[in-house]
Amino acid sequence: MSARRNLWANRLRSDFRAALGMLAVLACVPFFVTSPYSLGIVIVSMYFAMLAMGWNLLAGFTGQFSLAPAAFAMLGAYTTGLLNYHWQAPLALGLPAAVLGMALVGWALGRLILRLRGPYLSLTTLSFAEIARVVISNSHEFTRGDQGLNVPTLMQSRVGYYYLFLAVLAFTLVGLYLLMRSKVGRFWLAIRDDSIGAETRGIDVVRYKTLAFGLSCAICGFAGALYGTFSQLVSPELGLLLQTGLVISMVVIGGIGTLTGPLLGALLVYLSSEWLREIGGIQLIVFSALVIVFARFFRTGLWGLVTSWRSRLKTTPDVAKESS
Amino acid sequence: MSLLMTRGLYKHFGGVTAVNDVSFAVEEGEILGLIGPNGSGKTTVLNMLSGFLQPDAGEVVFAEENVTRLTTVELARRGLLRMFQMTRVFGRITTLDNMLVAGMAMGLTEKETNQRAQVLLEELTLAHVQYLDAGQLSGGQRKLLEFGMCFIKPPRIALLDEPFAAVHPVMREAMANFIRRRHAMGQTFVLVSHDMPIVVELCQRSVCMNAGKVIAVGSTRSVLESTPVIEAYLGSSSHA
Repeated sequence: MSARRNLWANRLRSDFRAALGMLAVLACVPFFVTSPYSLGIVIVSMYFAMLAMGWNLLAGFTGQFSLAPAAFAMLGAYTTGLLNYHWQAPLALGLPAAVLGMALVGWALGRLILRLRGPYLSLTTLSFAEIARVVISNSHEFTRGDQGLNVPTLMQSRVGYYYLFLAVLAFTLVGLYLLMRSKVGRFWLAIRDDSIGAETRGIDVVRYKTLAFGLSCAICGFAGALYGTFSQLVSPELGLLLQTGLVISMVVIGGIGTLTGPLLGALLVYLSSEWLREIGGIQLIVFSALVIVFARFFRTGLWGLVTSWRSRLKTTPDVAKESS
Repeated sequence: MSLLMTRGLYKHFGGVTAVNDVSFAVEEGEILGLIGPNGSGKTTVLNMLSGFLQPDAGEVVFAEENVTRLTTVELARRGLLRMFQMTRVFGRITTLDNMLVAGMAMGLTEKETNQRAQVLLEELTLAHVQYLDAGQLSGGQRKLLEFGMCFIKPPRIALLDEPFAAVHPVMREAMANFIRRRHAMGQTFVLVSHDMPIVVELCQRSVCMNAGKVIAVGSTRSVLESTPVIEAYLGSSSHA
């Protein structure tokens, strides 16, 4: 019976429960942490968790290694900001426009590049990300360039923002869980493991890759748009490659191809980066080294280590019973 | 009318003509052997039949429909499935999950796929490894799993590329038995293999290719005994 735990549906369910548990813990934080600064740090880490979940959908579940999650967050933030700045569009219109806009850009980009594989796909997304950032940075009259763009806030309450981010994170998590449990999620896993094999079985690989790309971009775009309303300022810095590197390190350290891993990684990496910043700004060195260590020795990340320890603990009594 | 036909297929790679005016037919319910020495163009023909390559000229007709320009996915949905020489299973999900993916891709429900998968895994002696990740299976077990995935919804025709290559004799026999049972139920196969004893045993008819051309077609015995085929495998006496 214990072997059934290995089935995708069962693995996913226990992964989902763990991720929900983490969100439940996050929901309790404002009861104990009241400093607006500290709450702000957790809010930003939830923003990164959304980016990490969006990127993980593409890289971890579908096997497409994009280097543009931060660029899509930046573009989402600018969609909301520019609609408001030039046409006074309310956030009720600007935020959904960021989701829809990024889904469409992701879909269109996906149609163009998803027949590419491996490094070519990554390099194309990297080029797209850099072109987008440079265009925004240089279009001073339209975007205000490096000065940044003011974005109206949704609310003044920091606790309110905290729970808004948490609710969006929970919504994203539940959506991803339902998708991964469905036929679509299984097809993504098949594409990740062997795209030619998936095609041979009758799976429309380009269609499902494009869907993953569009959804991933929509999640990142929404995260960026929401972050823009929280910080009330968007700038091309949101789309720096450094930010993408941070997202990738969060997923790799937390556990790629899982629901809990990106969440765990985002919280750990961002919270500890704040702490490391205080002791001398060595966070980038530490995370780069950690990514190398995890990619080399613990490819399943922290969440993978936790699940393997857990399954060892659960199987040991079974083995003991059988041998006695 | 034959179930599958090729008419004057050509494929060039740069200056090399890999497939040169290849025409043959596969009848419903038969096992057709596609044989020939290495580099004769068998796999290229299989790639064109299964939509992985587009021919430069000629056409492929399947179930009275011209399918020459259809994609692999469109062909799979019409019931033309292909197995590769190198196994293509989904390594990071379980054996049973692999079957579920294959069934769902063919339009079956999860429940229906699960029921069929249990029967097939039992038949293929894979039931004991159904909860193991496919990446942990042996090479032979992976090939058997590919058979299971291919037959979760029986195709109209299955194209098998070297299924017996580099497989333990026990697994080889399990695969051959599986093909025999399915053939008895009316299944059509195209079998590419270098394993002549099994080609002789399983295939009623064979097509032999050499240097991109069809050099013999007919009953498997007559093909293997024909002079051009003997020369293709052993070299012509004039070169001796």
